Amino acid sequence: MTFPLFPSHELGLAFAVLSGFGFGFVLERSGFGRAQKLVGQFYGYDMSVFKVMFTAVVTAMLIVAVASVAGLTDFKLVADYATSQTLLVPFVVGGIGVGAGFVISGYCPGTSYVAMASGKLDGLVTVLGTIVGQVIWSELEWRPGFSTFHDATNVGNFYLWELLHLPARAGPPILAAAVVAMAAACFLIADRVEKALGANADPFARGIPGGRPRRWVLTGLAATCAAGLAGLLLPTGTQAGVRQVASVSAPELAQRAFDAPWRIRVVDVRPREACTARRVPGAECAPQAELAKLRLAEADPSRLLVVVGERQEAPPAVEAYRGKLAVLRGGWSAWEEYALAPPRPPAPGAPAAEVEAYRIRAGIQSALTGMKAAPPPPPPSAAPAGGARKGGGGCSG
Amino acid sequence: MQRDPNRFWNPHLAGVALGTVLGVTFLVMGGGLGASGGSLRMGVAVLSAVAPEHVAATPPLARSAAAEHPQWLVYELFGVILGGLVAAYTAGRLKREVLKGPRISTGSRLALALLGGVLMGVAAKISRGCASGQALTGGALLSVGSWVFFLSFFAGGYGAAWFVRRQWR
Repeated sequence: MTFPLFPSHELGLAFAVLSGFGFGFVLERSGFGRAQKLVGQFYGYDMSVFKVMFTAVVTAMLIVAVASVAGLTDFKLVADYATSQTLLVPFVVGGIGVGAGFVISGYCPGTSYVAMASGKLDGLVTVLGTIVGQVIWSELEWRPGFSTFHDATNVGNFYLWELLHLPARAGPPILAAAVVAMAAACFLIADRVEKALGANADPFARGIPGGRPRRWVLTGLAATCAAGLAGLLLPTGTQAGVRQVASVSAPELAQRAFDAPWRIRVVDVRPREACTARRVPGAECAPQAELAKLRLAEADPSRLLVVVGERQEAPPAVEAYRGKLAVLRGGWSAWEEYALAPPRPPAPGAPAAEVEAYRIRAGIQSALTGMKAAPPPPPPSAAPAGGARKGGGGCSG
Repeated sequence: MQRDPNRFWNPHLAGVALGTVLGVTFLVMGGGLGASGGSLRMGVAVLSAVAPEHVAATPPLARSAAAEHPQWLVYELFGVILGGLVAAYTAGRLKREVLKGPRISTGSRLALALLGGVLMGVAAKISRGCASGQALTGGALLSVGSWVFFLSFFAGGYGAAWFVRRQWR
C-alpha cells in the first residue's frame, strides 16, 4: 500500500497551501466567487453548484476507488481518516441550516473565502459571520442540554456500501458506477430546469449547458468505473485491502516480549488512559486516531507488529505496515488474565509441563505487577532440567 | 486571448479539476478539504489572544487550539484565498464591490450576508463540516452522514430561497 503518503508536519502544511490554492482557483473559475451564480441553484436559473459539486464528488471517489482496487491504497482506510462519524439528527439539522445560510448569505463557507479574495465585501462579511457562528456553537455544544442534541444518534463511521450490504472491496467502484449513472440523469434534468427558468434571468448569471465537454467527462468517468470494476475480477496481486491478519496468543506474546523483544513491535490501540495505566511490556500507546503518526507504511518491516486492542481487532490503519502483522488473540482482557492475574499453582503431582508453565507464568506476573516473588511453586514431582533458568523470563531479575 | 469577466469554466470540466484536487489530497494527506474547521481555528486564535483562560476552559475551543488538523485547514484556507485571488485577477474579476440584486440596499445585503454567515457557522459546527467538509469530502468517500447532509443542504436552500428572493432579483 502506497497511499496515503502522510507527509511530515511541515511538508503537510506546504501541501495544504498547494491544495487550497487548487481548490480556490477552481472555485473562482467556476464562478463561485459570485453570489448570484451560486444562489442560482436555488432559483433554478443556474445549476452550476450542483453540476460542479456532483462531478467533483464522482471524480474524487473514482480516484480513490481505482487506487484502492489497484492495491495502492484502501478506500475504507482513507474514508476512516477523512470523514467524520455519522450523526443522523445533527446532520439533518446542520444540513438544512447550511443550506438556508447559503441562500441568505449567497455563499457557502468555502466560496465566501474565494469571494473575499476577489474583493467582494459581502464575501468578507460572510467569512466573519461563519467564524462567529462556529465560535458561538463551540461555546454551547458541550453544555448540558445542548450536548444531548449535538451528540445524538451517533452511528459511528458508516458508509453507503455498508448500508447496502456490499463487500468493502467491491462496494466503492460499484457505487461509483451507480452515482455516475445517477449524475448523468440529474445533469440532463438540471439543463432542462435552467432552460425553463433561466429565460428571464440576468444574462451574466445564467447556467452554462454541459455541451460537448460533459459528454467527454461522463464518458471518461464511466470508462474509469469500468476499469475499476474490471480490476475487481483480477485475482491476486491486488489484495492489499483484504489481508488476512494472523493472531498471536497471550502466552506466545509474553514469550516474545521477554525473550526477543527486538523482534517484535507492540502497538496498543486502546484509549490512551488505559494504555498508560497498564500495557504489554514495550508497547507503544497509539489510540486509533493517532495511528497515522506512527507512519507504519514507512516503518522497518523486519519486526512482527502485534496489535493489542480492547477486543481482537486490527484497525485498518495498521494494514499499511509492510511487515508481518498479528493481533493479540482475545485482546487486552486475554493478556490481563494471562499475565497480570496471579496463576493458580498446579496441584501436587501435576505433570512437569504444567509446573513449567506455572513457573513461567508466575515469573511474568511477578515481573509485571511488581510482586517481589511469586508464591512458591509446589515441590515438583519431576524437576525439569534447567527449568528454573526460565523462571524470570530473562528480564525480571 | 480576450479576458471576459463573465466567462466561466464549463461546470463539468471544473468539477473534474476540483475532484482531482480533492482526490490527490486524499491520497497524499489521508484527509480532505474543508472550510469551517479552519474558520473556527481562526476564531480560536483571536479568542486566545483576548481570553486565553476561557479558551482553555471550553473543551471544543481547547480541542481546536490543540489539535493538528485545524492548523492544516488554516493553511489550506490561506491557499484558497491565494488561489481565489490569482484566479480572479487573471480573469479580470478582482474588484471591490458588494454583490446583490437591484432591489436591495447595500446595508441590508451586508446584514443578510452576516446573518447567513452566522447561521452557516453554527449549522456547520452541528454537522461537523460544511459543503466542502461534509458534502464534497465525505460524499466522495461514500459516508452515509455526508449524503444525509448533502440532501438536507439542498432541502434547506430550496426551503429558504423564497423568503430572500428580493435580495437577488
